[in-house]
Amino acid sequence: MSEKIFPEKNLVTRHNATELIEHWAIAISGLLLLITGIFELPVAKRYYIITVPGLGWSADFITSLYIHYAAALVFTAAGIFHLIYHGLQSEKGLLPQKGDMKASVTVIKSLFGFGQEPPMHKYLPEQRWAYVGMALIIAMLIVSGLIKTYKNIYAPDMSLAVVLTATWIHNICFVLFFLAFLAHMAAILLRPNWPMVRGIFTGKVRLNYARHRHALWITDLEKNEQSVDP
Amino acid sequence: MSEITRRSFLRISAGAAALTGVHLPKTARAEAAGSLSTLIDLSLCDGCANRKIPACIQACRSINRNKIPPVVDNIPEPWPRKTIEDWSKKQDVTNRLTPYNYLYVHRAEVTVDGKRQTLFVPRRCMHCDNPACATICPFSANHKNQNGAVVINPNQCFGGAKCRDVCPWEIPQRQSGVGIYLHVLPDFMGNGVMFKCDLCNDRLKEGKKPGCVEACPRKAMLIGPRKDIEAEAEERARRMKGYIYGQKENGGTATLYVSPVSFELLNQTMTRKPGQPDMKPNVERRMVGTDPLGKAVLAAPVLGLAAGLLGWFSRRKTKIKAEEQGHV
Repeated sequence: MSEKIFPEKNLVTRHNATELIEHWAIAISGLLLLITGIFELPVAKRYYIITVPGLGWSADFITSLYIHYAAALVFTAAGIFHLIYHGLQSEKGLLPQKGDMKASVTVIKSLFGFGQEPPMHKYLPEQRWAYVGMALIIAMLIVSGLIKTYKNIYAPDMSLAVVLTATWIHNICFVLFFLAFLAHMAAILLRPNWPMVRGIFTGKVRLNYARHRHALWITDLEKNEQSVDP
Repeated sequence: MSEITRRSFLRISAGAAALTGVHLPKTARAEAAGSLSTLIDLSLCDGCANRKIPACIQACRSINRNKIPPVVDNIPEPWPRKTIEDWSKKQDVTNRLTPYNYLYVHRAEVTVDGKRQTLFVPRRCMHCDNPACATICPFSANHKNQNGAVVINPNQCFGGAKCRDVCPWEIPQRQSGVGIYLHVLPDFMGNGVMFKCDLCNDRLKEGKKPGCVEACPRKAMLIGPRKDIEAEAEERARRMKGYIYGQKENGGTATLYVSPVSFELLNQTMTRKPGQPDMKPNVERRMVGTDPLGKAVLAAPVLGLAAGLLGWFSRRKTKIKAEEQGHV
């Protein structure tokens, strides 16, 4: 188990190195894909983005495509790795559980000062729903993107029905991915979530925060540690 | 429909096979059954000297005269760059490409071995084998058909002119004030519809020839199965000790020019202007540079799968080892 409590440092491991690499590989490549995806639309010249220092290349669709492909390579490989690596280990902590919908409403209400949060596991109930939503969007982006890439290189005369389907799935999921990214950023702005931010940079969160907000997770962890200790 | 589904399935299967490294074609397919090419023989074209407008242009304009719907009275001013391209009041222009004119004839005065010659070069879309204008259209409004014709669907095009930017000859031309963008966000998104030669795709479907080919009084234009046209172009070039344009340009095209005069020389007579492309020999397909990276993207799922399996295996090994040590 990579999750470990460090009582003397008031810390607990929330993410291991593999998970941090996965998150940041998908986050950085996803951000690059969003930006170059926007630049694949004829907007850079029209909206004078090319005049912004350092963005002179933004109206060159082929340059954007180089970056888009490079980012897609990381994004796709990291996405498939995530699915296989965690799937084979049956890690289900991020998948929605029974009662999550109701609990999500309670948590969201509590974030705005209405009522109290229920005791929670490592991941919050609404976080699990957000994860599934994001995973579906990412999966659709990857599949449609692969079809488009294949068409670009090998089959420009691919069936129009397939091309149009892939294009519109890609375009719609691009918008959804952008909205999901904004929602992800908005969640960070909420004060109760602030202690989790250090976790995604360092892998560890404060123990007193975890005890207070993720009581079920810490209880499980302590039970496990006791059973391992001789 | 069943054919489309079957073909789509086959292509997707090919894509899936490609991901596993089983089979990847070396280049974009351009020799599918039913793929057509055109030949333009510059030794035969005389620019229809006895006519006001060359017959090919006349036929093209006649066939496409109703293609553009009426332009709105007040064309929305795009924001923030206020570029409007309106050819509706200049529909008679025939000496360049416009949204109303998909073909024009360039007159080239050249001197070869001290002898002055005049050649006429009909110019239109080359219908490239792997056209960037179509493959990276953000809405797939532009598509290469299996018969070789690259066709813009005016009902899906937003007129962003990306296709013109990536075309080495800047062939597609924009008409503002028409198209779907008027019904979405006309001030902020889109700016009309792009128009260009579609090789008379509707006529091809009916078994007819493109208007320009059919109308040419000197039979300077031919259309036929790609292999036959390639062989014919080679044979004509060999006979006239001439040159071919379109075989390698932009990665290969479905239009082959045959000329007794080199295309370097012809290109020198052409000054590149909007709607009047030059004819630079060996012009590169810019997307070719992105292909290796694109192929790496297609291999990325395999990479992710291998890394995932390796990671899982290594973690499992560590876990078993730890458990064994715990028992000791």
